[in-house]
Amino acid sequence: MLYFTDKQTQLADIFSRYPHTEQGRRSALMPLLREVQNALGHVPEENIAEIAALIGSTATEVKSVMSFYSTYHTTPTGKWHLQVCATLSCAIAGSDELWDYLVDELGIGAGEVTPDGLFSIQKVECLGSCGTAPMIQVSDVGFSECITRRKMRTQLEQLRAGANYLPDTVVPVFIQDGQQLNALEQKIGGKYSELEPLKF
Amino acid sequence: MKVTVDGRTIEVPTGTSAIDAVFAAGLDVPYFCSQPYLSPIGACRMCLVEAGSPRKGPDGTLILDEKTGQPKIFWFPKPQASCTLMASEGMVIVSQSASVKKAQAGMMEFTLINHPLDCPTCDKGGACELQDRAYEYGYGDSRFEFDRRHADKHYNLSENVVLDQERCIHCKRCVRYFEEVPGEEVLDFIERGSYTFIDSAEEGLPSNFSGNITDICPVGALLDNVSRFRGRNWEYDHTATVCTACSVGCSITVDARNGQLERIQGRENYQVNQTWLCDGGRFGHTWLRHERITTPMIREGGTRAGAWVPATWDEAIRLIRGKLGEISSKNIGLYSHADITLEEGLALERFAAQLGTDSVDHAPRYSSASTLVPPTLLEVSQADFVLVLGADVHEEAPVLALRLEEMLKGGLLPARYEHGTAIADLRMPERVVRQRHKLVVFSSKSNLLHGKAGLAAEISGASALHDLLAGSAAFADIFKSLEAAQKPIVILGAEVACLGRAVLQEAETLVQKYNAKLLVLPAASNSSGLSHLQLVPRGKGSSLQAMQVGAALVSRLEQVPADFAGFLMVHDTHLTEAATRADVFLPAVSSYEKRGTFINLEGRALTLRGAAIDAGESVDLMGVIGALGDALNLKPEIRGVRSAQREFQKRLNIDLSSLPDEGQIINWSGTSSAATFSAATSSVHSSVTTMWKPNMLRGKNVVPQQARELFVGGDD
Ligand code: SF4
Ligand code: FES
Ligand code: FES
Repeated sequence: MLYFTDKQTQLADIFSRYPHTEQGRRSALMPLLREVQNALGHVPEENIAEIAALIGSTATEVKSVMSFYSTYHTTPTGKWHLQVCATLSCAIAGSDELWDYLVDELGIGAGEVTPDGLFSIQKVECLGSCGTAPMIQVSDVGFSECITRRKMRTQLEQLRAGANYLPDTVVPVFIQDGQQLNALEQKIGGKYSELEPLKF
Repeated sequence: MKVTVDGRTIEVPTGTSAIDAVFAAGLDVPYFCSQPYLSPIGACRMCLVEAGSPRKGPDGTLILDEKTGQPKIFWFPKPQASCTLMASEGMVIVSQSASVKKAQAGMMEFTLINHPLDCPTCDKGGACELQDRAYEYGYGDSRFEFDRRHADKHYNLSENVVLDQERCIHCKRCVRYFEEVPGEEVLDFIERGSYTFIDSAEEGLPSNFSGNITDICPVGALLDNVSRFRGRNWEYDHTATVCTACSVGCSITVDARNGQLERIQGRENYQVNQTWLCDGGRFGHTWLRHERITTPMIREGGTRAGAWVPATWDEAIRLIRGKLGEISSKNIGLYSHADITLEEGLALERFAAQLGTDSVDHAPRYSSASTLVPPTLLEVSQADFVLVLGADVHEEAPVLALRLEEMLKGGLLPARYEHGTAIADLRMPERVVRQRHKLVVFSSKSNLLHGKAGLAAEISGASALHDLLAGSAAFADIFKSLEAAQKPIVILGAEVACLGRAVLQEAETLVQKYNAKLLVLPAASNSSGLSHLQLVPRGKGSSLQAMQVGAALVSRLEQVPADFAGFLMVHDTHLTEAATRADVFLPAVSSYEKRGTFINLEGRALTLRGAAIDAGESVDLMGVIGALGDALNLKPEIRGVRSAQREFQKRLNIDLSSLPDEGQIINWSGTSSAATFSAATSSVHSSVTTMWKPNMLRGKNVVPQQARELFVGGDD
């Protein structure tokens, strides 16, 4: 199913952020992918072709960009997409065992979704929280850190029971007026304008 | 600009990259990702050198070394990739020191981490850049002990190109090629880091130029599926010749093994094809070896109903003598395909004159040819406005489409040095914005060029031409562009050219009005040369379509008129439809086996050389004319390449036997052959020209399939 057919205003808005040239159109690739993925949980083949046509490129190009980033998915993901960091600090702290635990517990492998549609899992590279290894990122919401078997089990149980996910750390996302916010729109740190020189 | 490379001071033009400076100094640096005609990207890091340059102080003078009083050289702290380093005045480059060698060997060790050791079964073996460079610059050993990456080893990117994902060293030549040369982004890197592989999401690599990546891949990752596993590189006899599948005349290397044509690769000709070929020219050769007939044949019982039986040339000549003895020589027709060499054409012209026959023709051919001097291919790539009328360039002259793409990119040509075309010309960037407004295409059917042009429409080329000449207001923009352009070019394709003199005249008027150059795409490979020979029918019923003669020689033409009842001699490589109706079959050599000269669409004379292909008793057209002469007790005036070239020396004042490798543009005007010959009848041949000859098409579909069954699917 084509995604953007009935979303012309939104499309025009995305394209308006870039120069109105052949090259400029191509720059809209990432937000278009993001848009589809946010809505569908992944970007299906036909939408890859759709986006390619929209930006005047080929599906090969779109796939090349998508596959470069581990955050774009060509296969469906669950409601909660568990991204297990497998880089050095987490690996030393047991991310392999964590991965095996998730595979056993959920009965799925990479690229699969549990039958109830709740979970999917993926190995990713360092998420920048090495001090709290091993850790995972859950969907785009936040990090669960210093994971133990018990902590993971409890969290899965809560999520299965329909509870909302409570991250240890919320993923920082936007900067608005010099103020960084997290995914829950809480402030992180101060504003540039509020910064004062250090006094000695 | 003066640069010092390992103590040798040389003069190089501004803009030269350090790698070219090293080669210009006669030294060597290993490289993988750089490739002439492509943008340098510095991906492989193999071309490391040490470099430094003098610097100016605040007072604008060079900072001097206190001890020596010479300009002080400020060295880069680390070895630099020479392909992306611009040489500058006074730069000092060290390419042969121990530390450079160590850096290069270290890089080689990295490159080889995941490269499989299957050289003994790799088609690239013996002609592999990685193999050579590892031998010359590597340690011969590796400190990495972990497992190699495993991936698909027989991944068919298309019917013709197969990819071994394990062998890829991620130089990105193939990816850049598609974006930069044909402008079709059908191949790209997927994934990242050590998982990166090459793939296409477009079914079957939809490009007319996909085979070129098998030439430029520095390893055995991308291979020509048609020649795969058919020979090792050192077993092939390489012959440098020219492709005659269309009128561009790309330089090729024909590789034969045990007398059989196995592979065609691109060869460099800066003026014509750079190094690129179209897929038809590269892969389309397999028709030749299937069911080829290499001995003369005559009919059992002497009637056309009789089965073919092999014969000797003497027997064939005896039979011809018997039949032709009953016919007046004026009543003999001579017909040939228009891909014959200039020498064969001359022999045909002279022999027809000797016979006194009007019935001589070549096909495919347009009824009239333009005498205006066509633009060269380099002029096409540097034009500032191109109007294409009624042409499907990708079919009629494929590699011309690459020059048009180059034109859209701004017509930048890589620099040339004594060591060859620039290995890394830093003026050539990736992803150049195409200046589409410079290309306008009108033809009745939409083709690949329509998608590239700033303005394109599905209207007949002839009616567009007519309206342009009438000054139709709808074309106001085009008139403006034509007027503003300094170097405009008009390209006419088959759709228009087949309409005859009147329409051609219109085109000539149009280009003269705007001071443009006119390029009429020839109907066949050597049409441009043959149009200067008297090879067109003069009398009524003498044309190929009428063929009202008592006996006819038909050389490599698929069909003869249905009502032709005379004595038919067919000269061909295969039993074509025409051959099934023949009385005598005379085996023909293909263009790959010929010696001679061929004139391409820009009027450039190019030399054909015969490859080491076993053609049995086959002869070229001159050989057949010799046999006919024998049968008629007539000594043909032109009996060989040498005598033909002597005649051309007289006519054109040019020595065809020693043309430069890039060929030479022939200036016909002012010579005794300036005129082009137009047929008395305005009968024309098909308006559809395609470089896929009927049997090439057959070969295209048959062979890779067989190759796969034999070598890939089987117990390989
Ligand atoms: S397939 Fe060959 S040309 Fe393409 S990136 Fe790999 S090594 Fe380079
Ligand atoms: S290694 Fe896991 S967050 Fe950095
Ligand atoms: S980095 Fe590849 S040739 Fe220079």
